[in-house]
Amino acid sequence: MFRFLLARLAAFALTLLAASAVLFVTINVLPGSAAKSALGINATPQAIQRFEAERGLDRPLWEQYGEWLGRTLQGDFGTSFQNSVAVGPDLLKRLPVTLELAVLAFLIANLIALPLGALAARKHGKGLDRSVTFLATILGAVPNFWLATLLVLVFTLTLRWLPPGGFTPFAADPLMNLKQMIMPALSLGLVSSALLIRIMRASMLEILSSDFIRTAEAKGANARTVVMRHALRNALIPYLNVAAVEFGFLFGSVVVIEDIFRLPGLGSFVLVGIINRDYPVLLAGALAITVFVLVVNLVVDIAAGLLDPRQVKGRHA
Amino acid sequence: MEDRIHAHGAERPTLSIRDLSVEFPKREGAVKVVDKVSLDVWPREIVGVIGESGSGKTLTSLAALRLLPKRAQATGSIKLGERSILDLSERDMRGLRGDRLAFIPQDAMRSLNPTMRVGRQIGEPLVLHRKTPWKQAVDAAAKLLKSVHVRDAEDRIRNYPHNFSGGMQQRAMIAMGLALEPELLIADEPTTALDVTVQAQVLKLLKEIRDSHGTSILFITHDLGVVAELCDWVYVMYRGRIVEEGTVRRIFTTPREDYTRMLLAATPTIFDQRAELS
Amino acid sequence: MSLSGLDPQTRFDFGRWRLVIIGGLLVGLVLAAAIFAPWIAPYSPLEFDVVEMLQPPSTAHWLGTDELGRDVLSRAIYAARISMQVALLAVTVGLVGGTLIGTIAAYFGGWVDAILMRTMDLLFSFPAILLAVVLMASLGNSVWNAMIAIGLVFIPGFSRLARASTQSVLRQQYVEAARTIGMSDVQIIFREILPNIVAPLLVEAAVAFAYAVLLESALSFLGLGAQPPDASWGNMLSTGRGFMAQAPWLSLVPGMAMFICVLGFNLLGDGLRDVFDPHMRH
Repeated sequence: MFRFLLARLAAFALTLLAASAVLFVTINVLPGSAAKSALGINATPQAIQRFEAERGLDRPLWEQYGEWLGRTLQGDFGTSFQNSVAVGPDLLKRLPVTLELAVLAFLIANLIALPLGALAARKHGKGLDRSVTFLATILGAVPNFWLATLLVLVFTLTLRWLPPGGFTPFAADPLMNLKQMIMPALSLGLVSSALLIRIMRASMLEILSSDFIRTAEAKGANARTVVMRHALRNALIPYLNVAAVEFGFLFGSVVVIEDIFRLPGLGSFVLVGIINRDYPVLLAGALAITVFVLVVNLVVDIAAGLLDPRQVKGRHA
Repeated sequence: MEDRIHAHGAERPTLSIRDLSVEFPKREGAVKVVDKVSLDVWPREIVGVIGESGSGKTLTSLAALRLLPKRAQATGSIKLGERSILDLSERDMRGLRGDRLAFIPQDAMRSLNPTMRVGRQIGEPLVLHRKTPWKQAVDAAAKLLKSVHVRDAEDRIRNYPHNFSGGMQQRAMIAMGLALEPELLIADEPTTALDVTVQAQVLKLLKEIRDSHGTSILFITHDLGVVAELCDWVYVMYRGRIVEEGTVRRIFTTPREDYTRMLLAATPTIFDQRAELS
Repeated sequence: MSLSGLDPQTRFDFGRWRLVIIGGLLVGLVLAAAIFAPWIAPYSPLEFDVVEMLQPPSTAHWLGTDELGRDVLSRAIYAARISMQVALLAVTVGLVGGTLIGTIAAYFGGWVDAILMRTMDLLFSFPAILLAVVLMASLGNSVWNAMIAIGLVFIPGFSRLARASTQSVLRQQYVEAARTIGMSDVQIIFREILPNIVAPLLVEAAVAFAYAVLLESALSFLGLGAQPPDASWGNMLSTGRGFMAQAPWLSLVPGMAMFICVLGFNLLGDGLRDVFDPHMRH
């Protein structure tokens, strides 16, 4: 058990390191644009040179990364190119916003997908199965940022029930917070649920055709017991693995969704970073998002391992 | 006519199948995989159904449990004691499964839930039918495991199926089947995947069960040797039909049908040995 | 009857080709719009007439006009062109690059496999949109760069599939046979392996097309892809948002177009999966 966890954590750390290198290199590979963006297109070559020298952008990439890594590990995320404000604190403030969005969206997606997928599998071939699959196919083709727009059209402009955007911390005003979060979370969650419904359905169908399900029936278990006690746990194992990948995609979409709903989260941070060619901001934001996704993958990996006693060596009793 | 000893003194067979047919509807027309099969299993009797794969023997047994695949259609009559299996509501049928009628499948490894501890799986029939609390059911499972000669049963109940050897897994399945002392055990090739020595132990165990509990056993197999060792009465199935029936001795010494003769010819040594032993 | 008798391969029985046909029709619609844009579009997508701005759908402008008086229908049709071009190039880049990497990794195995696939796994762990956005930061904002960025994002996914498929082909006898008669590695890869991994790659390509359209739209929505005044469904949706109250059609049309396009490719992918091998898993 211990070895299992340790191995996973080590892999996580290594992947994180490599990911940071990839991001760093990708962002810093093309010279010149950061300076031009900060100083304006009419900046003189000398001004650009000075700008870059001040920030060490003229040094070899190797060195820059090493220096950046050292700083970052100590918690210093650098300062913005645009306004010379420290990036770290801003990043920290934005974290809970994206966290709440991602958790809500993922929750919605799974709360829809698990029961519907299991139901469709149970009623395989019948009307309910076909309807659910049809629904999932249609929903899965909807771009989540279009759904967001549609939701605003209906709930803000027409019905005037919900605000168009903005963010109030939950602690300050829970109701307002939920009102502001529900549409963004739905746009992400509903579309993700489409894929997850099909995955759950497929996984459940696969499990339900197993011999041990027949054993459970031969013991006199009814359909509900068979699904809840025997099938579900086994179906969740492959499901979780796909769900983790889907979560990655969902999380990437926060860049767009936060823009639409003016949520001050990591996604909009990345956007600001890219529009302004503000590399420290972009890098910090992108890295934060990546860390998030990797952590979730790690957690899911461990969870799947816990669910499946065959995975973990030495797990006898 | 040979003497079906176990039929003496008993009022009615434990299991009585009459003109059972199982069809699968296909686009070209229905395919009959079981064709008017009639067989009996009397109390305390071990009945063998022997045939090659595709002979319909497994489907016949699944029909008795009403666990046929969805597309299959069964007609005819199946009686467990007085109850007419094919007429029962699904709810009543569920009441019988695991309680009066138990199933021991071929592949024990795949027939056990990989994410559930063995003790819970063995004790589950008690929870399902007698509303026994789980803890008590698991304690009972330990005793059941012991009764099928699994060592360290108290520790083993906390294991997962993949911690068990093939033979132990099969015993666990048998223990599961015995949990509520059923009238009939339907065993579908339970020893096919096992080593010969383990196989012998399992067969011995089944005989013990019949002797001590009075359970009838319907034993499906393609292995003549096993039949010779275990069964009181044999049905030979070919292409969905029963072609011959009789005592093991009679079948082995004076087979009447060509197919039976062919089967016996395929395993001559056993034929000779068993004829002498029985 | 029993739950355990369920056959996981039993599909709807709509007929094996139904999904492919429906998907194909939708895709065909979009492709036709893209290819024949100059002939079918009633107006030029760039021609604006401020007097006509923000007009609802009418006989003159079937889908209305936008904030600069441009015909929405024409812009949507030309946007199809951009989406299809980007998708085509991106999928090609991803398919070719991914197949090359995956096949080589599987064929040569050992440390080649380890290094290549570890890199692919690393790239795969980034959310696609994020990776695309970060690549755009490097490359600069334009449609061409979007094509390259999305293509690069696709390479890891295709490489995994190509590797898995190649591995299953390698287990077959005919590769050994080819080697014994003296075929070189390159010959084997091209003559024996590639033809046999085409089917699953094709299915993946169809789905990738859908994804490419979504990514391209997202990028142009954010202002990183197609630049104004060029029309892309993404940037149409983005500007349309500013006029949601007065001109909701500006938000509905590009989204609907995206939806039809993505749905078509998804159905096509599903249908092809069923046709090639109804027993194929996700």
